[in-house]
Amino acid sequence: MEADQKAQSPMTWLVWGIIGLIDLILLYGVTLMYAQEEIAFALIILLIVCTGTWVFISNKGYNYRYVFPALLGVSIFIVFPLIYTVNVAFTNYSSSNLLPLERVKLLHLRKTYKTDGESYNFKVYQQDSDYRILFISNKEADKHLVSQPFNETTIPSPLKTDFSPDLPEGEELPFRDTIKLRQTLKKLAIELPDSSELSMTSLRKFGPMSKIYRDIGHDTLEDVRNGNQLKPNYETGFYIEVPEGQPDSAGKQTGPGFVVYNGWDNFVRVINDPGIQGPFLQIFTWTIVFAGLSVFFTLVVGLLMACLVQWEPLKGNGVYRLLLILPYAVPAFISILIFRGLFNQNFGEINMLLNLLFGVQPEWFSNEFLAKTMVVIVNTWLGYPYMMILAIGLLKSIPDDLYEASAIDGASPIQNFFSITLPMIIKPLTPLLIASFAFNFNNLVLIALLTDGAPNIIGASTPAGATDILVSYTFRIAFGQYGQDYGLASAIATFIFIMVGVIAWVNLKATKRVLE
Amino acid sequence: MAEVKLVNVSKSYDQGKTWTLKNINLNIAEGEFIAFIGPSGCGKSTLLRMVCGLEDITEGELSIAGELINDWPPNERRVGMVFQSYALYPHMSVAENMAFGLKLAKADKSLINSRVEEAARILQLEALLERKPKAMSGGQRQRVAIGRSIVQQPRVFLFDEPLSNLDVALRVQMRQEIARLHNRLETTSIYVTHDQVEAMTLADHIVVLSPLALDAESNLEQVGKPLELYHHPANLFVAGFIGSPKMNFFDGFIEETGNNETRVKLTTGEILTANVDSQSANKGDRVVLGIRPEDALAETDNGNAVEGKVETLERLGAESYIYMSHDTIRENFIVRVEDSRKREVNSKMKIELPIQLCHLFNAEGKAFHRTQAPAYDL
Amino acid sequence: MMVQPRNLKYRVWTARIFMILFLCLIMFPFLMIISVSFRSGNFATGDLIPSNPSLEHWYLAFGIPWENADGSMTQPPFPVLLWLWNSIKVAFISTVLILLLSTTGAYAFARLRFRFKESMLTAMMILQMFPAVLALVAIYSLFDQIGSYVPWLGLDSLGSVTVAYLGGLALHIWLIKGYFETIDLSLEEAAAIDGATSWQAFRYVLLPLSTPILAVVFILAFITSIAEYPVASVLLQSMDNLTLAVGSRQYLNPQNYLWGDFAAAAVLSGLPISIIFLLCQRWIVGGLTSGGVKG
Repeated sequence: MEADQKAQSPMTWLVWGIIGLIDLILLYGVTLMYAQEEIAFALIILLIVCTGTWVFISNKGYNYRYVFPALLGVSIFIVFPLIYTVNVAFTNYSSSNLLPLERVKLLHLRKTYKTDGESYNFKVYQQDSDYRILFISNKEADKHLVSQPFNETTIPSPLKTDFSPDLPEGEELPFRDTIKLRQTLKKLAIELPDSSELSMTSLRKFGPMSKIYRDIGHDTLEDVRNGNQLKPNYETGFYIEVPEGQPDSAGKQTGPGFVVYNGWDNFVRVINDPGIQGPFLQIFTWTIVFAGLSVFFTLVVGLLMACLVQWEPLKGNGVYRLLLILPYAVPAFISILIFRGLFNQNFGEINMLLNLLFGVQPEWFSNEFLAKTMVVIVNTWLGYPYMMILAIGLLKSIPDDLYEASAIDGASPIQNFFSITLPMIIKPLTPLLIASFAFNFNNLVLIALLTDGAPNIIGASTPAGATDILVSYTFRIAFGQYGQDYGLASAIATFIFIMVGVIAWVNLKATKRVLE
Repeated sequence: MAEVKLVNVSKSYDQGKTWTLKNINLNIAEGEFIAFIGPSGCGKSTLLRMVCGLEDITEGELSIAGELINDWPPNERRVGMVFQSYALYPHMSVAENMAFGLKLAKADKSLINSRVEEAARILQLEALLERKPKAMSGGQRQRVAIGRSIVQQPRVFLFDEPLSNLDVALRVQMRQEIARLHNRLETTSIYVTHDQVEAMTLADHIVVLSPLALDAESNLEQVGKPLELYHHPANLFVAGFIGSPKMNFFDGFIEETGNNETRVKLTTGEILTANVDSQSANKGDRVVLGIRPEDALAETDNGNAVEGKVETLERLGAESYIYMSHDTIRENFIVRVEDSRKREVNSKMKIELPIQLCHLFNAEGKAFHRTQAPAYDL
Repeated sequence: MMVQPRNLKYRVWTARIFMILFLCLIMFPFLMIISVSFRSGNFATGDLIPSNPSLEHWYLAFGIPWENADGSMTQPPFPVLLWLWNSIKVAFISTVLILLLSTTGAYAFARLRFRFKESMLTAMMILQMFPAVLALVAIYSLFDQIGSYVPWLGLDSLGSVTVAYLGGLALHIWLIKGYFETIDLSLEEAAAIDGATSWQAFRYVLLPLSTPILAVVFILAFITSIAEYPVASVLLQSMDNLTLAVGSRQYLNPQNYLWGDFAAAAVLSGLPISIIFLLCQRWIVGGLTSGGVKG
């Protein structure tokens, strides 16, 4: 293994061929990206191509061949997203400021208004997969103004038209189908024989249109109708309309906004904005309480069950174990949704049972304390089998003679547990408990599927709930139904990274201690 | 089959800061059986692994059959190796284990079968061919491991402490089988062991290695025939290592040099004579006088004797060992006797060191030539 | 076996009764959901064993329209089987890729010598604690970008989810590496002397001996992929592209509460996965404990 790896026969040529092919494809992609001015992406791909090729061709890189693909996967799907998220935390990226400045400028430049001139009714004719449009002029009804053929995928721009004595070939499209085609029709830029332009103005008409804005440099746009200027504000990420001749007066914002770096703004909001700060602190506390309680209860139940299952006099251990593992075997998302239904205030079986037995119908989803209790109960149910499995493994590793010795000393089972079992397994268990804490700290699935944060916290400026944990809070800020604020979400995510980083570091220390 | 040649072979794991092996020079003739022996940490296994390519060679040259093969990977060296842990592939049957190498080499099916059958016949494994390794005893596994390398018809056989996992009785039996096998195949063999009995009984020549001292030129101590090492150890290290129990050493000074008889004065004042050629030394030089436990004689006093105190007795039946103390002794003072009934612990006793059986070493540990030693070249 | 104390009998019975009560508590949701799946209508209440069982929800779960008593037809609300198929496709392909990459990676970490090995391992250990959930915004943008060059890896494609799950392989590298290290190195050395290249030693000796851990990693990765919710919920949008985990949520919308239909769909889709898990539980338990204890 230590001696040099010699190049092997014809296989080598095959490998070189494959590498060459992959490189070619990727390099083509790099050129495409570069052409589209995605320089960062192009550079990253180029870097991957170069290191990859080196690793697979050079003899020195031989040992890296085995790890390169795995490292690539980890860096693209874990490391890169982490860095990207931290980067987004310093921007105003959100549903109102979604696009880069260039794209927003293009959007404005593409805006049109109706100018004077004649409007045309139209009919669409279909022949196989191609369409032609017949424009009907109000003035010269006998002339047939027919467009070039086009279809959904190939649209000549501009689409030229010609006078023709005949109707276009093919079938006339019913109006209903024309409506279905409207997305394509809207994109058309029709050029009339006199070189004036038409575009779709309503479902039944094409009319003359022209662009509202023209680019006057420095990313500033001018309204051709009234001479007002649109100037980008790099602080807020919006275009500001400045009336002609009053360059200093502040006009109104014109959407959509564009993405700009806004420094520590998002972090400052978390600290200063009472609508975020309050819920954030409350959610942060609950996250830690929730993760801690989950670890505690799953550990207690799991350990208890592991001890019982391992207890020899209790026969049928195999069956017990199988049934006890069941909650772990069923995919979590199914179990969580089942609980969501069972705990339902009005139709849930749990409330029916409680009503039958005690005459109460607790409000599981609207009372804060009950909702939190429910979340912990469900998570304990979900998580104890994992703890039990780990504990069984650790219990098996405790030598029997320890218990034999304590039996001679006359210890009770409880004394056995606290003076032998627990001290023996707590050290190897520590890193696992920390990992479990980290898992629950980020247990988005449970919260998203069970309560979705309910009940809501009153006075929060972004959606936030009493059972929300930090990740689910972030998730709702980023992907919720009411406006997505990626920047703020990333700022909170950055905070979570730091927390998880600390936990991971502690875990690393604990693991090293076990190995020593 | 081929001869193996090592020229100044050295090994360092940290780019030359510290060395595990230094300047090993060996010529192993075709068909020879050679044993590497030394205490743990002397690098004997490392040296073997360098011969088969599992470790790279930091410095020096290794050639097999006249070809320099320093940079050849193990799979191209055509050597066979028997590992201490046997290293049988657990997921393959005995037959598959033995056929694995030939299959990789895309050998003919009929050739593979005939080779495997032949090896099985030689090693009496015919009945076990379909078994998996875990269903076999240690001795059987050992034979399969040997069979696996026989099948490949390697140029050199390498054995890495092959018997150390077996119990004593089996070890003796396997030792004889390996000897028989070598007589039959006459393939060049290198055998690493820490057990000197194995080395003495199996090898044509023994290579003694020592853990490398900080400024030593080499850790190859001596190469020689088994009895040569026993009767003519080149230095203190070999003298102490070969033979069991260990040789007894006394500190002293040269009283009178000579080409046949040398007189030594111990620090206790006792004067002893040894049949060694000490003309290269001077009177008053520091020396170490050695006598093997089986050579010393208890309670006969022909003048060449020391007086010690009996500490403990080990009665083994056919023989007994007397553990004694003496002011000038290094490490141990053991005397082998046939009958220990009359001895008593704490009693004083005279021990005779027969003149022709004494060894003498200078301050650097190098041996003076023994003039009256028995012939070993049989 | 030791001589047991005299009150052992009472202890055993106490333990047994406690265990049975606990199991009832644990099994309650499963029994309930099976019962609900056989009740007619979505708001029906009743006993654990339905008095007049109906296959209504099961028809709908299998995608067959159900004819009500009054002659009207109920169409299946969601394409459950399609979702299940999507989940299986995604999980299978991503698992095969994960297995491939983590096995080769683990081999290098366990057996080969190269620079930065230790720091890479530590980095892997720390990174495995950062789940994809934390960087969903980035993952969303990443696939948005990729999609403009490679459409089948873009947003709302199953390809994107499959590839995104590759980020989870750090943990598996650790698991497999731990197992490789329990296999005697001299086996591969013996193979090398038998004439095997390092690839052949890996392929014919190490891999066949590692089937137990490969099976464990396969099952673990498969189940993790099937049950993954956050990434899939962000990347997938159109009804026909959803995986089961994302789709199932649609059943319990407050506006459109389909409790009975959900029950049948949950049993239908949960059963095969649970059965696979239980069949392999011995291996999984072994893998989890050894991986966990060894770290």
